[in-house]
Amino acid sequence: MSVHTFESMGTVISIRLAPDVGTDAPDAARAIAPAHALALAEIRRVFDDLDRRFSLYDPASELSLIADGSLPLSDSSPEMRGAYADALGWRERTNGAFTPHRPDGVLDLSGLIKSVAIERAGRVLERHGHRVFSINAGGDILTGGVPSGSAWITGITDAADRTGLLTQVTLSPEWPAVATSGSAERGNHIWLRPDTDRSFRQATVIAESIVTADVLATAIIAGGQTTLDHVTDRFPVAVLVQLAGGALLANPAFRALIVRGPDGRQRLDLTTEPSHDDAAPSPVPESPERPA
Amino acid sequence: MIRTNHVGVDSVAHVAEPARRFLWRQRRADTLEGLSWFSFAVVLALFLADGGWTYFTNIRDLPTGTGIVAGLIGSNLLLVLLLLAARLPVVDRAIGYDLALAAHRRLGKPVLYLILAHLMLLLIGYGLALGRDPVAQAITMITTMPDLPQAFIALTILVLVVLTSLVIVRHKLPYLGWYGVHLLTYAAVLLALPHQFGQGELFAVGTWARWYWLTLYVGTLAAVLVYRFLIPLARNLRHQLRVAEVRAEAPGVVSVVMTGHHLDRLAAHGGQFFGWRFWSPGLHLEAHPYSLSEAPNGQSLRITVRQLGDGSHRLLSVRPGARVFFEGPYGLFTAAARTTGHTVLIGAGIGITPIRALLEDIDTPSGGLTVILRGDDEEHLYLRREVEDICGRIGARLEVLVGLPPHQGRTWLPSAEFAAGQTISTLAPDIPDVDLFICGPKPWAELVMRDARAAGVPRHRIHAERFDW
Amino acid sequence: MRRSSTAIVGVGSAAVLVAGWLAGSARFTTDVPVAPATQLPIAETTPPPTDAGTSPLPTPTEEAPVVVACNGQIVETRYGSVQVQVVLTDGAITDAIALTLTDSSETSVEVSARAAPILREEVLAAQSAVVGNVTGATYTTQAYLSSVQSALDAAGFTG
Repeated sequence: MSVHTFESMGTVISIRLAPDVGTDAPDAARAIAPAHALALAEIRRVFDDLDRRFSLYDPASELSLIADGSLPLSDSSPEMRGAYADALGWRERTNGAFTPHRPDGVLDLSGLIKSVAIERAGRVLERHGHRVFSINAGGDILTGGVPSGSAWITGITDAADRTGLLTQVTLSPEWPAVATSGSAERGNHIWLRPDTDRSFRQATVIAESIVTADVLATAIIAGGQTTLDHVTDRFPVAVLVQLAGGALLANPAFRALIVRGPDGRQRLDLTTEPSHDDAAPSPVPESPERPA
Repeated sequence: MIRTNHVGVDSVAHVAEPARRFLWRQRRADTLEGLSWFSFAVVLALFLADGGWTYFTNIRDLPTGTGIVAGLIGSNLLLVLLLLAARLPVVDRAIGYDLALAAHRRLGKPVLYLILAHLMLLLIGYGLALGRDPVAQAITMITTMPDLPQAFIALTILVLVVLTSLVIVRHKLPYLGWYGVHLLTYAAVLLALPHQFGQGELFAVGTWARWYWLTLYVGTLAAVLVYRFLIPLARNLRHQLRVAEVRAEAPGVVSVVMTGHHLDRLAAHGGQFFGWRFWSPGLHLEAHPYSLSEAPNGQSLRITVRQLGDGSHRLLSVRPGARVFFEGPYGLFTAAARTTGHTVLIGAGIGITPIRALLEDIDTPSGGLTVILRGDDEEHLYLRREVEDICGRIGARLEVLVGLPPHQGRTWLPSAEFAAGQTISTLAPDIPDVDLFICGPKPWAELVMRDARAAGVPRHRIHAERFDW
Repeated sequence: MRRSSTAIVGVGSAAVLVAGWLAGSARFTTDVPVAPATQLPIAETTPPPTDAGTSPLPTPTEEAPVVVACNGQIVETRYGSVQVQVVLTDGAITDAIALTLTDSSETSVEVSARAAPILREEVLAAQSAVVGNVTGATYTTQAYLSSVQSALDAAGFTG
């Protein structure tokens, strides 16, 4: 497996590529690793093209021209209008929690563009024959396949301590994409913000598509508990939310993805309230014991 | 047929006015103290109601649970501490400000120990859960969790306050230095407040506990603000006290007479003391506690002070017209503290001054009041002439004991009287059914108290003016 | 304080402490009446049949342990009404599940797919798990340089 990094969209993109070696034919000719360079160059182009069109930091980008009024949306490129339409679609699906419109009226599609780039990059890799890969663009991750003899184990940052990990989850072809969105505000002033210890500090969404994961993570931070409930009800996603006070919320699908300890079980503590897993039935334990 | 109990009607004993007042005072003191103890139970109950007992069901959560409890009790105790020093009238009238202050000083170290324990146990507890050693855990907390840096600063302030209050250190510090650090306690309380509400679930939004805890804090800080700062300020602005006259009573003893506006409205009594801050070189910074040496007459206030090494020698240099800032009146060393009809007043040296003031306030029928003055020599019987005049006027018995105490034997009496076998009972025949007021140097006063207890005077009838605070 | 006052305060404090403890215990109860009507056999889903004897899941129809789930009483928690379902395998408690009642109906128990509180200890994986990537709120290039991800990338660590 090799690691490749490059800079784009104001962040660093890390790509891991594995040779796709089958386990069922040990004496088969070792698969020739597809040429990385072509694939990586194309991925870079995908990111740079999207950045050039949609970056609000570049005054010459198409989106900036729309933002300052010199280019009407109706005259913009089909790609721009397509992205706008997608964003509006997500706004509907999240009941307004995700929106491309900033409070100051500027159209901001950057929330969507990074994950679109990741998605396209994934398709590029697949076209070049890479079936096992991971793409991490600034904290949003898409994986493909499963590394042989191992798994795509992904850590989730603790918003309260960025050098530490809250937990680790296993990404797989069924759950290939994860995105995390954070709230920048601290607001713990007890006189003015009575709700802040309940507000969402960080939301991590694991989904089938990176765009879905990214949009929903952003929506949950923006919309709070209502959006969280709506999302977990309507979308097949695994969600972990970290509250400002440090508490954690997770839905059953997320619990199933947590990397387990050696005995494969959660700690059984009758003073807490673990959720019922209806997405994936719990395997019957082979050697039931009394909880410690 | 109804039988009436005639015996009862004839012998109904009317509870004497002083005894009734004493009972009322005792009830009030008990209520205050009882409420303080009860508040600890309340905060612990809130902790339990929040599911806190679960911390104690397994060994791993034990440090965390104990740490939280230590923090809760420590902060609650800190609030009690602040209230004790807040010069609350209800506290002064129930137990006397001097006693309150003594309790305040005793509680300082326990508060610090509890909060240090709170920190240590939580570092261990969280560290165990998250796999970090206490130091790394502390660093993580300070650098990443909101409100915790302030809490650490608050703890540092508390440590400093206690350290500078240790007798050894306090003597080496200038008064202003010590006082400044001490006042930082309020800052510590405010700094530690956010983390109590922001961390954990106990005081989370929407819980009763949150309102209760907030009310406790707001109430305490408001009480401190009003009674410690605003009311004294208002009183000073209203009365505009100034020095009218400074005169030497005896070598090393000086009387200061002060006048001002509306002094008749100042509800002070003989025997009470004030904290005085003279606006004069060297005296600005410290508030000295001195008792009044004559009962307030509505026109002026007088104190009589012996010059010791604590800056009191500068009083001689106070010019008439100098502004005086005062705090008070404080103290239960008053005629109102009596519980019976018979009173014995014993004053030694400069301790005679509050006795002299008290004397004017007592309206006892003659025969029920004995005054004993004690001095190493004639010179030390300050204000003797005034005391004699008053005793003669109201018909009180006066005993004057002059002379050094004997070399052998510890007694409060002069050697002559001691050798003659005099005791407190011979000097004050009504003992033990009297209220005994004692004022003088601490070792001497303790000897008097020992004799009085031996003679059967119950503790609640011995009133001592503490000059050592 | 006088003795009578001490007694009053003592009794009052004890009462309030007991009340608090009771209130705290009521938040979660492990009372599980084993009423036949509420027994739900779980492990209904059988694993896909494989002929290789490598299935780690014994099928319920063979010498499988007897697993029953029993619903306990409904308790009020800060997050809403919760009914506890306790799973017993061969008579021993092997899991305790909180079934969150939805807001709309108090009477019917609906199993919710919603996010519920989870303890940090449950989420903390064993230290032996090896991470290849880290997800977090978007980092800038500058922030990346000091992030865990950059350490993993620089070491060529793929997990």
